[in-house]
Amino acid sequence: MADRDPALAEAPAPGGYVGRAVRTLEGRAPIVGAARYSNDFRFPGQLHAAIVRSPHARARILKVDLSGARKVAGVVLAMDGREVATHLGPIPHYIDPATFGGKSAEVRTMAVDHVWCHGQPVAVVVAEDRRTARWAAAKVQVAYEVEPAVLSVEDAIAPDAPRVVPGWDDNVIMAVPFRNGDPDAAFARADHVVATTVRIHRFSTQPIETRCYNAVWEEETESLTLYGTAQNPHPLRHVLSKVLGMPEGRIRVHAPAIGGAFGMKMHGHPEESLVCLLAKLLRRPVKWVETREECLLIGAREQVHHLELAFSRQGDLLALRDRFFANTGAPSACPGWGMAFLTGLTMPGPYRVRDIDVTMTALVTNKPSWNAARGYGKEATALALELALDEAARQLGFDPAELRLRNFIPADAFPYASPTGLQYDSGDYAGAVRKAMEAIGWDGWRARQAEGPKDGRYLGLGIAYELTPEGGALPGTMVAGYDSSTVRVAPDGSVRVLTGVTTPGTGNPTGIAQIVADELGCPIEWISVVQGDTTTCPYGFGNYSGRSTIVGGGSAALAARAVREQMLKVAAAMLGVGVQALRLSNGVFDSGDGRTLSFAEVAYAAYTRAYDVASCITPPLEAQATFRPPSIRHSPDADGRINPYPSYSNAAYAAVVEVDSETGQVKLLGLAAAHDCGRVINPLLVEGQACGAIAFGVGGALMEEIRFDDAGHQLTRSFMDYVMPRAEDMPGVTMVHHDSPNPDTYMGLKGAGEAGVGGSAAAVVNAVNDALKPFGVAIHDLPLTPARVWAAIHGSGAAGGAA
Amino acid sequence: MDDLAQSVLVQWRVNGVLHELDVLPGQSLMDVLRDALRLTGTHMGCMTGHCGACTVMIDGRIAKSCIAQAATLPRAEIRTIEGLMGPDGRLSPVQQAFWDEAGFQCGYCAPGMLFSAIELLSETPDPTDAEIDSALAGSLCRCTGYQSLRRAVRAAARALRETP
Repeated sequence: MADRDPALAEAPAPGGYVGRAVRTLEGRAPIVGAARYSNDFRFPGQLHAAIVRSPHARARILKVDLSGARKVAGVVLAMDGREVATHLGPIPHYIDPATFGGKSAEVRTMAVDHVWCHGQPVAVVVAEDRRTARWAAAKVQVAYEVEPAVLSVEDAIAPDAPRVVPGWDDNVIMAVPFRNGDPDAAFARADHVVATTVRIHRFSTQPIETRCYNAVWEEETESLTLYGTAQNPHPLRHVLSKVLGMPEGRIRVHAPAIGGAFGMKMHGHPEESLVCLLAKLLRRPVKWVETREECLLIGAREQVHHLELAFSRQGDLLALRDRFFANTGAPSACPGWGMAFLTGLTMPGPYRVRDIDVTMTALVTNKPSWNAARGYGKEATALALELALDEAARQLGFDPAELRLRNFIPADAFPYASPTGLQYDSGDYAGAVRKAMEAIGWDGWRARQAEGPKDGRYLGLGIAYELTPEGGALPGTMVAGYDSSTVRVAPDGSVRVLTGVTTPGTGNPTGIAQIVADELGCPIEWISVVQGDTTTCPYGFGNYSGRSTIVGGGSAALAARAVREQMLKVAAAMLGVGVQALRLSNGVFDSGDGRTLSFAEVAYAAYTRAYDVASCITPPLEAQATFRPPSIRHSPDADGRINPYPSYSNAAYAAVVEVDSETGQVKLLGLAAAHDCGRVINPLLVEGQACGAIAFGVGGALMEEIRFDDAGHQLTRSFMDYVMPRAEDMPGVTMVHHDSPNPDTYMGLKGAGEAGVGGSAAAVVNAVNDALKPFGVAIHDLPLTPARVWAAIHGSGAAGGAA
Repeated sequence: MDDLAQSVLVQWRVNGVLHELDVLPGQSLMDVLRDALRLTGTHMGCMTGHCGACTVMIDGRIAKSCIAQAATLPRAEIRTIEGLMGPDGRLSPVQQAFWDEAGFQCGYCAPGMLFSAIELLSETPDPTDAEIDSALAGSLCRCTGYQSLRRAVRAAARALRETP
């Protein structure tokens, strides 16, 4: 095990911001309309780009005729994919499958000769304004020879399936076994084997702000700036340098305020480098704003799991087998496909079963590509396991809660080495389940359920658990486990924190400021946090995997400590006392003998008295630090396994639903979560994250779905078709904390950004299936739309799942 | 591209400031506010009227500016999110409550949520949770799961009842 740094868990300096419900520092701007999102940037002479996309899922491009577009007044440039490819190299993969033994497709900015999904860029038009660009794009004529498309998992694995990527010998990106112990023997001695198939559909994060990129070329320095919706400015800069063939030092990426990201604004998107190229070629600023229809092309999460669970007579889970397939769509440089890997790696979640036989197969198809989506595959682990456990409880006659409590990893078993090689830091899963059930009033609902249905409406109760590894690091990729921050104290005593982590609007700058305020011993109002700019911030990896407070906060704390030590030395010299005699809190240095110095006095002296009282330090008052969680392990163990995560957040979810047997409508009556994200920096922010993730789960379980016709045309093209939860769909969530501190991070932090999608979705599905028990059916084919629920109740056979 | 002879001269008071603007058919109110008047607090989210990020108030009623045609509003009193602060730069009680209660995360949906809350509370000073949900249902939020928004509206209602 990695060395544990005792300083990590050290109590912060007095001030008491950590743990408090501090309102966000950055929260004023959006409520007065002053937050500046990417689309709010406007540059003199700015042009607008519009993209022509393939209407076909799989086709040969016979001819692209740009002449009609070029005749439109106000058009300055029109290019097809073939021409763009003469300027731009392939897009480097965020996570290259080849790094992990998989197949790596060459991903171009635009289609050249052949399209592999509906919506793939085929041509681009640039004009003086957005409307003209879109009008001209409609004048581009493309002749296609349509070919049969590969759409489903079953299509893709058929031996005679057309190859999505020309030249590949099958449609498999990567197939990975996660095997431990002797599962075959365990199955052989089992008293019961429960087999079930869980189908998770394609759904998407859909932030309300779509993507937008503004590229500005600076002729003076021959450099490029991209202002845009980027979760990871520094790694994106690297990608742009590769695609454009320019040194990183001449590229700046600036991510301003972001209107939600949830993984979708991680990079690899073709429009990033395309917009930069256009600005470079035209020597004028260029803007591209994604339409909602374009945004809906970006998918995620679609998986099919064939599960078998082996049990003893007493209900002990002896072994788990899962053959699962992920339909990741067409190849992409975005990190979406990696979600499938994490689904396998997170098996068997919170359960202590050691004999496992899981195979992940990530497939390419002719659906549009995935990008990362909050949960990053771990939501699928929870859905598959939790639906299968409820199926087992039904078949074997166990109470669903009892079956889980019987099989959890016990609280005294941490740190726990999982059968896939993960190192779970801490947790008390049984305790969390009990808390969640108590919070929702489980026994009361059961009693109401026992009274029977009222007016054809059936109550159902469901529970589920989700283990959510967060803060991940994959070797050889820009998914890094560490990050850096700089803390600067100016001569007036004001504090600036520059950090490599970014915010998609979650409030993490305030969490980081709380930590720095406590470490420095100054009021939080003196602190400003700067993020998202490759020119001003230290090299950093941005936002993903619930990492921002763990590594952004951890590194800012270490940097703040270094600055505090410098200031204490100067103050001690000014007062002629030892450093040990000084106390620093609320911005005041107190010598204990009645004399005090203000933060500003000491800061000013540090800058201006470098040859007397400040000769003991090296100016300026500034320090940079990196926090690299020590528990991440990339050197493979004897079985070739690594531990890519420093933090294992986890939570229990309980849901109550009412199913209307006449209409198939599901009404969510209550939701509770008992959540363990380690030490809580700001309960407002943590609950906000959890409730947001839970709404993703509810939407995914009941309504959100991206659909295609049989030829692979995407049918879901607006918020008319993509139905997401509104206020009326979300009951109040009862959140209880059940925190166990992480021994391997600063102050015991765990990630809090991702947890909740899969656990809440599974609890809702389990509750619906509980309500359907009187009909003898259960649905494992998501989402549980009214049509699907109605069909299950009325026995049309269209429901799937175990009947 | 458009027939300029069909342009319409509109007279709007936007956040208290009078504007006379010649607008073209097909121009949305959102485009005119964002592009011509540089009021970028009104956000583009879906362009189909489903998400509410473009919400403004037209003659005292909330409206989605992405599907409101500018040329159909010859005379109008328009309020955008930039016009919610008092002339002294102080936050309105509704804004203050949304900030204090961490109502928003990314804040992109703020126009819809704030204007929906203002309209609700002007008619229903002490709303139930169901009334709050119904008022907010015209806008989508992807960050909060609506829990903090509901809490903010309740706090705003309290604040407004306590201010004479």
